[in-house]
Amino acid sequence: MKRISVDIGGTFTDCFLVWDNKYIETKALTTHQNLALGFNEAVEKAYQQLDLTMEDILSEVDSVRYATTLGTNALIEHKGPRIGMLVTAGFDSTVPLSRGRGYGEGLDKLGMANLPDARRPDPLVLPHMIEGVRERLDFEGKIVLPLDEKDVREKIRMLVDKGAQVIVICFVNSVVNPMNEKRVEEILLEEYPSHLLGAIPVILSHRVAGRKGEYVRASSAIVDGFLHSTMYYAMTQLEQNLRAHSYEKPMLVIHNSGGMAQLNSTDALQTIHSGPVSGISATEHLAKEAELGNVVSTDMGGTSYDIGIVVEGGIKHYDFNPVIDRWLVSVPMVHLVTLGAGGGSIASYDRMYETVAVGPRSAGSDPGPACYDRGGMHPTVTDADLVLGYLDADNYAGGDIPLNPKRSTFAIEETLCDELDVEVVEAAMMIKEKVDANMANGVNTELRSRGYDPENFTMVTYGGNGPLHCCGIASRLKINKILATPMSSVFSAVGAGNMHQMHIHETSLFLVLYDSTSRKVFDNYERFNDVVADLSSRGKADLLRQGIKADDILHSLELDMRYGNQLVQTTVVISKHTLDSALDVLNILDLFSTDYGKRFGEGSQAPEAGIRINTIRVASYVEHETVHFKHIKPVAEDQRIQPPKPSSTRECYFVGEDKAVETPVWNKQDIPPGTEIVGPGIVASDVTTYLIEKGWKYVSAEQGAVWFLRDEAKN
Amino acid sequence: MNDKLSAEAVLEDQELVAKFLQDTTLFLGPDPDIMRHHDIMPCTDYEAECVAKHGDPHQMASIRDRMQSACDESYEMLEQMGAAPGAKWGDVITGIYSASGDLTIGSAGGVLIFSVLVHHPIKFIIKNWIHEPTVGLKEGDGFIHNDSRYGNVHNTDQSMIMPIYHEGKLVCWVASTVHEGENGAIEPGGMPSMAETPFDEGLKMSPFKVVENYEIKKDLLTFLQNSVREPKLQYEDMKVKLFACMRLEKRIKEILALDGPDALTACMRSTNDNVKAEVRRRIAEWPDMTVRTYCTMDSTLRENALIKLNCTLTKKGDRLIFDLTGSSPEITNRAINTALPGAKGMIAQVFLNHIWPDLPRGQAAFAPIEFITPPCSIVDGSVNAPNSQSLMSIFLSFTVAQHATAKFLYSLPKKYTRVLAPWYNMISTYIWGGMNQHGEMLGNLCADLNGMGGGARMDMDGEHAMAPIFASMADIGEQEMNEEDVPFLQLVSKKMTTNTQAPGKYRGGMGYTQIVATKDSDQWGFMTTCVGSKAPPIQGLFGGYACGAYPLCKVEDVDVYDVMLTEPERFKHSIVETMNEQPYENAKYSSHHMGMGFSLSKRGELYMISQGSGGGYGDVLERDPALVIKDIEERLLTPDWARKLYKVAFDDETLIVDEEATAKLRADYREQRKKQGVPYAEFVKKHVQSEPPKDIPFYGSWNSDLSVVYAGSNDDKRDPQDPGPVYFTNPKDVEIAALESELEAIRKKTGILPRDNRK
Repeated sequence: MKRISVDIGGTFTDCFLVWDNKYIETKALTTHQNLALGFNEAVEKAYQQLDLTMEDILSEVDSVRYATTLGTNALIEHKGPRIGMLVTAGFDSTVPLSRGRGYGEGLDKLGMANLPDARRPDPLVLPHMIEGVRERLDFEGKIVLPLDEKDVREKIRMLVDKGAQVIVICFVNSVVNPMNEKRVEEILLEEYPSHLLGAIPVILSHRVAGRKGEYVRASSAIVDGFLHSTMYYAMTQLEQNLRAHSYEKPMLVIHNSGGMAQLNSTDALQTIHSGPVSGISATEHLAKEAELGNVVSTDMGGTSYDIGIVVEGGIKHYDFNPVIDRWLVSVPMVHLVTLGAGGGSIASYDRMYETVAVGPRSAGSDPGPACYDRGGMHPTVTDADLVLGYLDADNYAGGDIPLNPKRSTFAIEETLCDELDVEVVEAAMMIKEKVDANMANGVNTELRSRGYDPENFTMVTYGGNGPLHCCGIASRLKINKILATPMSSVFSAVGAGNMHQMHIHETSLFLVLYDSTSRKVFDNYERFNDVVADLSSRGKADLLRQGIKADDILHSLELDMRYGNQLVQTTVVISKHTLDSALDVLNILDLFSTDYGKRFGEGSQAPEAGIRINTIRVASYVEHETVHFKHIKPVAEDQRIQPPKPSSTRECYFVGEDKAVETPVWNKQDIPPGTEIVGPGIVASDVTTYLIEKGWKYVSAEQGAVWFLRDEAKN
Repeated sequence: MNDKLSAEAVLEDQELVAKFLQDTTLFLGPDPDIMRHHDIMPCTDYEAECVAKHGDPHQMASIRDRMQSACDESYEMLEQMGAAPGAKWGDVITGIYSASGDLTIGSAGGVLIFSVLVHHPIKFIIKNWIHEPTVGLKEGDGFIHNDSRYGNVHNTDQSMIMPIYHEGKLVCWVASTVHEGENGAIEPGGMPSMAETPFDEGLKMSPFKVVENYEIKKDLLTFLQNSVREPKLQYEDMKVKLFACMRLEKRIKEILALDGPDALTACMRSTNDNVKAEVRRRIAEWPDMTVRTYCTMDSTLRENALIKLNCTLTKKGDRLIFDLTGSSPEITNRAINTALPGAKGMIAQVFLNHIWPDLPRGQAAFAPIEFITPPCSIVDGSVNAPNSQSLMSIFLSFTVAQHATAKFLYSLPKKYTRVLAPWYNMISTYIWGGMNQHGEMLGNLCADLNGMGGGARMDMDGEHAMAPIFASMADIGEQEMNEEDVPFLQLVSKKMTTNTQAPGKYRGGMGYTQIVATKDSDQWGFMTTCVGSKAPPIQGLFGGYACGAYPLCKVEDVDVYDVMLTEPERFKHSIVETMNEQPYENAKYSSHHMGMGFSLSKRGELYMISQGSGGGYGDVLERDPALVIKDIEERLLTPDWARKLYKVAFDDETLIVDEEATAKLRADYREQRKKQGVPYAEFVKKHVQSEPPKDIPFYGSWNSDLSVVYAGSNDDKRDPQDPGPVYFTNPKDVEIAALESELEAIRKKTGILPRDNRK
């Protein structure tokens, strides 16, 4: 297999090149003005290792795949076109009001609770760029107020006159009957044909999101419209660059649904968070290859801690209404939770409980922790890690960032020691314990709220601060096994290299499987089968258009179901894609009951209140060959080798130890696969520090993977 | 010696009588010892022992974090699994209570008021049911409760309460509460404004055991389902609340297994003690002074009346005292009264959401604040006074507290959040009920109640329709979802109302217009429950204006759905255009106060309302002209209104501001103000009246004299400490009497004899 996968982040462009049995990891700085330059540099570093040329590589790889945070960054930086919007008249303020709660989406708990400080984010569509159009459909798609075409033309002209560069259309109940949205698109093209002013991109909400919810669908369409041009130009630049270097196959773009598609079959919205989602995808692949069972993936960086769930049996955890930046949208995105906890999280004195609080404020990378010596005055997690001896002041980030321990000590003393009446080391220990507890609580809530027990999980850790804090976090969760990933510096790019081409089509509908009032079980099988067939054929068409053979196309059917009038919808994966009998319906009800009981507790099911399907979703996909991780599993205990002599020792402080412990320190590159080190100990690399806490063992594996095994672990 | 014997005998007699009385209690009604108490319970010997044993703040923080995480998890379950619209939009809370019944940790999301109101029924259970042989308490029991006279806001809120045991010993309690809506009252939706006695308000559940061995007792469930219009909702949500409690129990048992019951108890006690101490420290930071303010409601929801809520707030040292003396007497046959805990609970929300949002949600955060309330008043109603619409009086309690505290907060060097003008305080939405398009009987309300406009801030405008005063991150919902379940359409769902926000240097956040019409049912109706159609229910701050007054408008005798298909151009998406242009021939157009009792609606008849604005902050003449123009662009203001209010000169076409002309307009207006000004004594002489206006039925104290409260007329003055009942005549009887009087006059004039001579 020959393949290139790339994760274009805000700072680095990570490249993972698979060239038969060689796996090459490279990095280059992201070049925001032209992403192709950073890409070319990263690929150049790779092909030089093979003694080949760019053309040699690109003419032979089976695919080039991109995950990118470009869209996320554009949203955060608020860089986008002036959007004009047409909505159903009477719903003119739906978007600006953002369901009331929009002021707090994407904020921490205090930001949500603090009403006097609340401020909705700067809008992506200015309120005066929204016009109501006279039309209305009811919940079944029947006409209540016919579309007033004269009104439409007038409103379009108003928006264009006010400088609209993109037009977004979101009409109420358009997912059940899109006729009015489609007609407005036709009118727009009549009024402004491409030869007149150049085509104004038009985004129809029902094409971006297939589920009910006029606000979330509108905000999805807006985000899509806002990012459309940015993504289009950037990605086209990348595609042209590939063409210029002899790559003739389609360029593939990673989606936040956990699949990928060709550029021309990709909505901008689908690319948001594709980098972190690729990391979860890589974890999923790793879990299969290394037979890890249930896995919680954790990525601890400077400002955030991302948590993802990968469980055995292929159950996917999606967010159907994720918050992207500050916007609640409707898109099936691989479930990902971000906590505000990282190396830059600021510690403060908690007067109420006379203890230490950590976060949610972060010093970020500028000014960064106090020890960066860039003006940061607040003590952070990284400062505590330095004071406790875990970090090497002279060799942090490969020596790129010299650390000043005096600054850390000063910041901790000033902020915490007097109030808590403790020495600086004790205060630093409290910071470490608090941040570990915060992250453990986050993981705990994530898993338990979905009916899982953390004890039955393996933790996969990556990100700059992950291997330093993972033992502390896992101990609190009673997790015994941690895998620090192989190829960790380009892990998301590795994930992108293992994805399958996939398209998801879904539709909202009012389909009652059991009507508790009439006490009837659904028997209109044709209606159900027609919907599934339509969604499958749309997915199939997408893939056929991309050159996939019909025989290779697979479909997965998911139903979002609920009891009575509940809000929660539980996703049920159905293996039989047609309904032919009452037995088929009852089987679906059984599956729903089982999944619901697992999540909320057996006996919590309420079928007596009626059972409905709210959404039918079909994922159409084709499976591609995947990368194989070699010898990832920890070697048997009797085959493990002793570590080499440590490169140095440092005084470190650990939980439960009154005094400093003289702790051995190794360089990661000196430790061959199969080595076992019993904690306490430290292994340092250019990108991270592996802290082996007491009661844990460090076992190295191939491709840079590292296991942390607790004494209680079975292997 | 004889004296001593005699004293002993007397004591023995007293004990015997006390025991007799206790053994022969007819009815365990609301217990004043519990209901008037909002402080945390005294530290027990066991709690003190646990705190002494477990002093490590790390361990305490760790347990507290896990309790918080458990509450948040169970809150999510309630919100996700709950069938009531209130549950879906966040009108719920879960919490963990000490063995003595004090709430220690509440869920981070949800309605805050519950955090200080669910401890009462738990304390009732502790006092009365634990040792009662016919009830008792054991692991796996669950108690249900909704009667606000035993705790909670109003009886549309239902709680499930569960004791948690460790090795046979009660260690704590958990509870989950949901605003359920329907409760079998005389009007659907759970908040009847027609209720004249507590017995018109539907289910009145004092705390009773409905769950044994983690199973809901089917006979009791059937009884409850049989007592309400939505048996499905009653069933679903009882189950949901039970499983939320069970999830909390599971998490607490994990804490018990890891840390033990002593550590858990130490954590609960020390958490409450620490929070209470912190609140005292924060109060001490305020300046010592007294602030006086008041608000009025302009109706009982059934008739016009001016009902006063008076507040004197005094801070001295670390004491903060709310004195509500001078407020209206209770209206004994109207639903707008509140039991005292409701008023306190709503004031607690001022502190937890609007002053110290960083504080944990627990009972201790409000424990040190003191209250003086007149008995049998609108804020401290008797048990005989209905309170299903207590929101009216408690929302005004919120506003007086918010208005008064702002003046303390303004001068503080350290602020925990921004100082702001009062939030809009009414639930401008539709309560609805009847048979839906799927043949199900429903009774509930629209989530739009959560879209109250925020007050203007010290340095910025208020946010539009953002959150109710009682919760953060509440949701105004998605109509596409709602329309699947209910047979009416919001034909105007969310459209900002023009020219009705409270002006100021910073303006209040505005609410939106809603126009609804029943479509697919011939058994459906609406009600609305707000005051403020004639007099604003909130004030502005530091020169900012109060909000406007917002009526209900109706168009009857029309099927607008027919019109929309046959003559679509006639339909207007605006209340003003509809009422002014009257586009439907032969239809009946009318406007009303917002206290519309449940009214059956015919297909296609329009009900039109607007939510209100938060208060304005500061002088309108100081408003940045650029902000005025922005409001015009966003259709919040019309140009003529902008000129009139803010004295801004601009070009109508381009909206470019003429800075020089604006400065002149404002300078001229300031001069005009000076000319209008008079010395204080002269102002008092000219404007201040010694009694309320004779033509307005006024209730409460007048001016600063708190020794008397008026009860509807200047002849009816009452002792604020013993006002006695106040009854209104049924408005229909008033109307009949008026008609009869007119008829009598006509008869006299024309000589027509009465139809029934016996009369």
